[in-house]
Amino acid sequence: MKGFRQIIWLIRKDLALQFRTKDTLILIFVFSILVVLIFSFAFGPIFPDDPEDRAKLAASVLWTAFSFAGIITLNRSFDLERANGAIQGVRLTGVDPSNFYLSKVISTLVFLTMLELIVTPIALQFLEVLDVLPAIVQERLLLTLLKLIGVLAIGTLGFCAVGVIVSGISTSTHGKESLLSVVLLPLIFPVIMAGAKCSVSLLTTGGLEGNFWISILVVYSLVFLASAYLLFEFVIEG
Amino acid sequence: MILLQATQITKRFAHRMVLNGVDLDVQAGEVVAIFGPNGAGKTTLIKILSTLVKPTSGAFQIAGIDAIANPLRVRSSLGVVAHEPFAYLEWSPYENLKFFGRLYGVDALEERIADLLADVELTPFAHEPVRIFSRGMTQRFMIAKALIHDPTLLLFDEPFSGLDVAAKQFVLKLIQQERARGKGLILTTHDTELGYHAASRFLFLLDGQIEPVAEKAEIELTELSRQYEQRLKK
Repeated sequence: MKGFRQIIWLIRKDLALQFRTKDTLILIFVFSILVVLIFSFAFGPIFPDDPEDRAKLAASVLWTAFSFAGIITLNRSFDLERANGAIQGVRLTGVDPSNFYLSKVISTLVFLTMLELIVTPIALQFLEVLDVLPAIVQERLLLTLLKLIGVLAIGTLGFCAVGVIVSGISTSTHGKESLLSVVLLPLIFPVIMAGAKCSVSLLTTGGLEGNFWISILVVYSLVFLASAYLLFEFVIEG
Repeated sequence: MILLQATQITKRFAHRMVLNGVDLDVQAGEVVAIFGPNGAGKTTLIKILSTLVKPTSGAFQIAGIDAIANPLRVRSSLGVVAHEPFAYLEWSPYENLKFFGRLYGVDALEERIADLLADVELTPFAHEPVRIFSRGMTQRFMIAKALIHDPTLLLFDEPFSGLDVAAKQFVLKLIQQERARGKGLILTTHDTELGYHAASRFLFLLDGQIEPVAEKAEIELTELSRQYEQRLKK
């Protein structure tokens, strides 16, 4: 029970600090919108007519924006921990490193999911995806969008599961930010690949029935979450 | 009652042996001052004793518990004041103390925070962000944070550095208060005068090794300073 309460306080701390400064929130929002605009200008103003091509474009934009916004968020989040030895202060309280890991995953997930909730409709509108969705998808538009947010959230969970442990490793090394990007991107490649495939499937058929990629996305995210939860103690305590 | 017992602690960074067989013990109600020049290994020793860094070899127990094998179990017995605040400077002292107090599981936390802020004379600044504080105010905040969970063993790394005369006197007073309450305390410093007034036993840390000097009752300040300077010249 004490461990559960500690996780809650750590999550509240992360979110409170992120919302106190607001710089990360503004940075990742502006960054994501910029990615959407760049793709819109690069592929527009006349986008591909084929709904599948349009869905592929939307999936590329969303997963590119959220992957790099995630890296920025992780960097900023661990910068706050590194600054003035705050993470050592937390370690001294005797918090289980696995609980610290879980709290970071959840707080980053909450933060990025909020971003996805705001940016996804904007991206779909800018890329005019909603205009060309097949009739079967148009009929269940809200449900499809919710499923899309769900897929993005599962992908983000996988991203955070990997990203937090890599950030933890990079905390105690030199070249922190570059190490995070260099090590993290190959590790989250399966998440991005599976997430993008699921997103295309949702925007073209409105469902994931028989979709192999959703299994990959869920299994990869959960396996990494469980193993990193168990291994984080060695990352932080050495 | 022995609060800390360290035996043959060594720490090697690459090819440099920073600590070389350190033996140390601290009793309840005892303040041990460790004098050493810059680079002597004082900070490394405090980091090891606070369980934040693992020694290369050696053993130490805190309150009878093997601190190397069970760092999480012993941390709630420790109050650490280091060079860095170990806190979130965007937050106020109140917010920091509340957050860390909750993680430690402190009972009657609001009262504890109010008492501590009054003790370190930060009540008027309780809701100001720590990042705007002067060095002296930050040091007082760090001491309050180290005491939030009423630890039995305090580890102060250079607690007087960068402080003006009034702030040094304030820290001295706090150390004496905690000693009177039966806490054990290790402080590192290169200032023999302040260390003499703060501590009840003195050690030198030179070339990675501890050299016992004397109990306070056995030595005058002038003799302590003379011995320290003599050892530094060797």
